[in-house]
Amino acid sequence: MTTPPSVRELSQTAQRKIGRVTVVRLTAYYVCAGALLLLMTGLFPLGPTPPGQAPPPTEMGEALTWIRGQLSLFPRGAPVWLDAVVQMIAAVLLVVPVAFVYVRTRTRLKYDHSIVSTVIVLPIVVCAIVVVVRDSLALAFSLAGIVAAVRFRNNLKESGDAVYIFGSIGIGFATGIHAIAVATVLSLFFVLLELALWKFNFSAEFEHTFARLCMPSGADLAAISSATGELPIPVTKEEPEAEADSARRTRLVRVYVDQVDQARPVVEAVLQRDAKAWSLAGTRPSDGGPGILEYRVRIRKRVDLDTLRERLLREGAPHVVAADDSPADQL
Amino acid sequence: MTLPPAVGARDHVQGPASARVTLVEYADFECPGCGQAYPVIKAVQKAFGPNLRFVFRHFPLVASHPHAAMAAEAAEAADAQGKFWAMHDRLFEHQTALEDADLQRHARKVGLDLERFERDLRTQAYQARVREDAAAGKSCGVRGTPTLFINGVSYAGSVEREALVLALARAALTARESHDNAALGT
Repeated sequence: MTTPPSVRELSQTAQRKIGRVTVVRLTAYYVCAGALLLLMTGLFPLGPTPPGQAPPPTEMGEALTWIRGQLSLFPRGAPVWLDAVVQMIAAVLLVVPVAFVYVRTRTRLKYDHSIVSTVIVLPIVVCAIVVVVRDSLALAFSLAGIVAAVRFRNNLKESGDAVYIFGSIGIGFATGIHAIAVATVLSLFFVLLELALWKFNFSAEFEHTFARLCMPSGADLAAISSATGELPIPVTKEEPEAEADSARRTRLVRVYVDQVDQARPVVEAVLQRDAKAWSLAGTRPSDGGPGILEYRVRIRKRVDLDTLRERLLREGAPHVVAADDSPADQL
Repeated sequence: MTLPPAVGARDHVQGPASARVTLVEYADFECPGCGQAYPVIKAVQKAFGPNLRFVFRHFPLVASHPHAAMAAEAAEAADAQGKFWAMHDRLFEHQTALEDADLQRHARKVGLDLERFERDLRTQAYQARVREDAAAGKSCGVRGTPTLFINGVSYAGSVEREALVLALARAALTARESHDNAALGT
């Protein structure tokens, strides 16, 4: 029987490592993006007031603004299209770290590749809409009407993914109204907060979060129940073990055959009978060499992988030459 | 490279003689490359089951691996007690522990008669046997380890699982085609 872990142990198991590479890359990226944004906004000043027409400076802050205006390529204000381009580039630059953090904080199962592209592209669209609408109430109402007419019925894989969409919209909106500084702060805070939440795993199950926030570190976990007023629930390590066991029993099985068409029905009959679940992940035709049938297979407890492989070889003969396997996440 | 000597009764063989494909390995127990190839070959054997026959031959690189020859002799001494493959696995799994005392420990773990094992090593009873393997390897062009032959043809590809499985599967199918053609008299 496993002994329940203490609050300290539970807290430690809940923590994750962000990794030096992630921190270094994000920092380097923000430094480069910041420099680029400063350069761009210096060369093409944003906003409706042409900096070149500002009165002569009387204070240091005004002097800097005036100098930037004098140095800019468009002292009388950049054309609208260029203004929009700069805003959109700023939006993309600031949203890339958000997408990066999305990838870093998701597992293979929770990862949704469409979110990454959505998060990167969405601020450009939002920025463009804001540039178009700007101060026109009529255009704003038209936009509201159009948005209301379009129905999006797409369920997100993770409810947390919605935050990334909103973050992306926020960055697009801020850059669209020339508030690049606000967009930068939003991007930075978003990234830092998401990484911190992921690292400390505050979205873990109740025991982890409650123990870390509300219990002394040396306390016995049994005390959680009395602290919450619930009936004691035995806390064991069985759940992660069951998860690991489940991952171990899902394999990618590659069956090497002479003729794909002839071997496939035989192989699938064996899988149908002896595997808990299976699906064809891909086939490679036998052009001058062995054909390969790739299956994602969930192994039964009573028919282990070696037995399944032995049956594939025996019943699949003479078409089946070999049956190799690897973890299913290598697909 | 020329063909390696045919698989004979003196060889260490796993798998049936009727297997579609024969994999011969010339290896050195102290060679890190052979150590990396060891789990790959184990996996490949599982993948092919009765379709693969695996043959192990000694090729100790004594100039660079001072413990290799003695380890090979230890494996042969274990073979004399019917435990070659157990010792083979043990040596590859403990490649950095091949001193005399380590070999004694491995022999005890494998379940050998220690007295006989020690005597065989002390008298170098199997030195000639190991040298024969190495000489045969040299004669067919083996220069380093691990060197693999698939159905008698030298394998120059990567000793990684997927690449090796693919090469063996290709050889197995080629062998069957040749066999079918011979049977049809074409």
